[in-house]
Amino acid sequence: MPTAASSRQKRPAVAPVALPGGYAGKLLRINLTTGKVWSEPWSPEDMREMIGGVGLGAMILYREVPARVGWDHPDNRLVLATGPLAGLPVWGTGGLTVVTRGAGTNGPTSTQANGFFGANLKYSGYDAIVVQGIAKKWVYLYINDDVVELRDAAKLVGKDTWETQDQLSREYGLAGHHLSVYSIGPAGEHLVRFAAIQGDYGHVASKNGCGAVMGKKRLKAVAIVRGTHGLRAADPRGLIQVADDIGHDLKTDPTARSLYEYGTLSGVVNLHKIGMLPIRNYTTNVAAIDLTQWEAPRLREGFDHRGHQCSACGMHHCHMQIIRSGPHKGAIVDEPEYEGWSGAGWTIGATDPQSVSWLNTELDRVGVDVNEFGWLCGWAMECVEKGYITRAQLGFDLRWGDVEGARKLLDLIVSRRGFGDVLAEGVKRAAEKLGPPAQDCAVYTLKGATPRGHDHRARWHEMLDTITSGTSTLETGNPVHPTEVGVTARVDPFDGVAVAKVVAGLRGRLAFEDSLGACIFTTRTRLENMCRALSAATGWHFTVDEAVRFGRRTGAILRACSLRCGITPDKEYPSRRYASTPVDGPAKGQSVMDQWEKMLDTWYAEVGFDRKTGKPLPETCRALGAEWLAKDLWGRSR
Amino acid sequence: MGTVAVEVVSWVTKFIGGDGTGRKVFEEPLRPDSTVRSVLEGLSARYPELQAALWQGGELGEHIEVLVNDAMLGVSHGLDSRVRPGDRVALLGQFVGG
Repeated sequence: MPTAASSRQKRPAVAPVALPGGYAGKLLRINLTTGKVWSEPWSPEDMREMIGGVGLGAMILYREVPARVGWDHPDNRLVLATGPLAGLPVWGTGGLTVVTRGAGTNGPTSTQANGFFGANLKYSGYDAIVVQGIAKKWVYLYINDDVVELRDAAKLVGKDTWETQDQLSREYGLAGHHLSVYSIGPAGEHLVRFAAIQGDYGHVASKNGCGAVMGKKRLKAVAIVRGTHGLRAADPRGLIQVADDIGHDLKTDPTARSLYEYGTLSGVVNLHKIGMLPIRNYTTNVAAIDLTQWEAPRLREGFDHRGHQCSACGMHHCHMQIIRSGPHKGAIVDEPEYEGWSGAGWTIGATDPQSVSWLNTELDRVGVDVNEFGWLCGWAMECVEKGYITRAQLGFDLRWGDVEGARKLLDLIVSRRGFGDVLAEGVKRAAEKLGPPAQDCAVYTLKGATPRGHDHRARWHEMLDTITSGTSTLETGNPVHPTEVGVTARVDPFDGVAVAKVVAGLRGRLAFEDSLGACIFTTRTRLENMCRALSAATGWHFTVDEAVRFGRRTGAILRACSLRCGITPDKEYPSRRYASTPVDGPAKGQSVMDQWEKMLDTWYAEVGFDRKTGKPLPETCRALGAEWLAKDLWGRSR
Repeated sequence: MGTVAVEVVSWVTKFIGGDGTGRKVFEEPLRPDSTVRSVLEGLSARYPELQAALWQGGELGEHIEVLVNDAMLGVSHGLDSRVRPGDRVALLGQFVGG
């Protein structure tokens, strides 16, 4: 098929502008409907205001995706953004942030992945890709420095994400960091509501059906050859110094050191001890097996493995593994993150690490969110056990811990065959379709999202965060050095008011991190260090206060987008099972719903949003430097 | 007047000379006025790495979760709550992954 060559050569010359360091200075715009590809400069003032990543994406979503534009509308934007640290020698700075109006909630999404995408894009001369329109036929986007083309993807359709990368690598004779490929699998092609975008063998932007958005646009993949454009830091010596400081901190800090050595492998044992490991779809919190083999060093020793680091990263985090035993012996897989062990394992009752690791990569390959699959499969297993879903509906048996059955279920979902078409709509819609009593067993939020792979009934701050977030997933996240921003390090986890104050008090940090083009795991250092890195990269003087304010402003913009999408405060509730009281384990008897309204009241008061309408209050917008948002939301009289 | 069991779990064993796996249980002696704080001070005084990871300016720092009788600190016990023979204290690493 004809390809659309870059139109940059035809545009009038733009007067050179002194760019802050760390920026390529251009956004790459793609209109799939017309086949037009063009570059758009953005100003240093906009860079300071939006930084990149979710900060940039949120503003594009706010300005360019009005209420009438649903997730599947041609005018929906798919923003693939990096940030000013991407491509610079700070650990884990190959980052990609995907921002769009997602298929899960039909509201805003911000979801991150790593690998080499961010670095390769920056070296090609772009800070972000903004996709709109719908292609007439399947295409993929090919970027090789000044060559930017939409190429025929017919030969890639039907392939999973790893096969897609394999094929493009063979075709271009490039592998590893020389070619970053992010693609959708069959799940995205068939518009599964929790389809993800996967890249570089194991990195997944997974939330809110961003893969379905890409599928709707008939964009199979984005392939970026490592570019040759220069990238400058404003203060190279300062940047190297702070990069070393961050590396030292990650290696020596008592908490971060665990991530440095083992990534997120320690999650299963840790979270089980405090009742946060979700087992069998929230039916228990007590593991029925000895967890010795689930300790981080044992998990790693249990496989033949090798490092699979992201751009410029010195962490011993990402690894590839070889399955040692069982029906898939010899398969090469990506070492699961904690959420993989949880979603492909404990949530569905599977406890053999070899099988769980294999299933986790299968989920990546077909391109679905491992968390939502876990909640869906666990729910289906419970429903089969209770007779709410029958063998005839599925066509096979599906019992707790049955990994091969889970794989069959995945096939059913991805192909949308039979009952799979119901399940492909995600947990909330499938549960509503079946109604009670099956619906009462399903874990979801009334917004249409599902939680991360934790049991939030023992982790109320994440439940509140998930449900109040403008992106329907974590917006505050784990407390990282909370005292640095004046938030207490520990509260009674079942004191709803105290929990709500912590969630509100920590807002801002995560959105700032997700705007830098860096990995969430390499930013587990003091915020001051990340501000130093941003300052050295750009030449700005960026403070911790400014970082928090920026992050909260981004949160307010996403909240405004969310309200515009019809996601209002009446939807800020967990489903019956998500809100249930644990029957065993360390959180036994603790009822979050007894305190839910009080938690919401506290959170709204603390963040400065209107409790009734959900809107950021005018004075909140002004304090965040977004007077324009106050006017948009409340009119000029306020 | 008896002892209280302090269980050092998994990653935290790194700070007492272990390899970050398994568990080690210390039977710490109790006095009539023993509190969670005094028990932890007694144990951490013998292990400098644990001392550094556990405390920050005389209060518990950010790195280690403290559980008393399987409940996180703040639920049934505070740092200055009395502990009694048979109580169980556990030290668990903070998890900041996803």
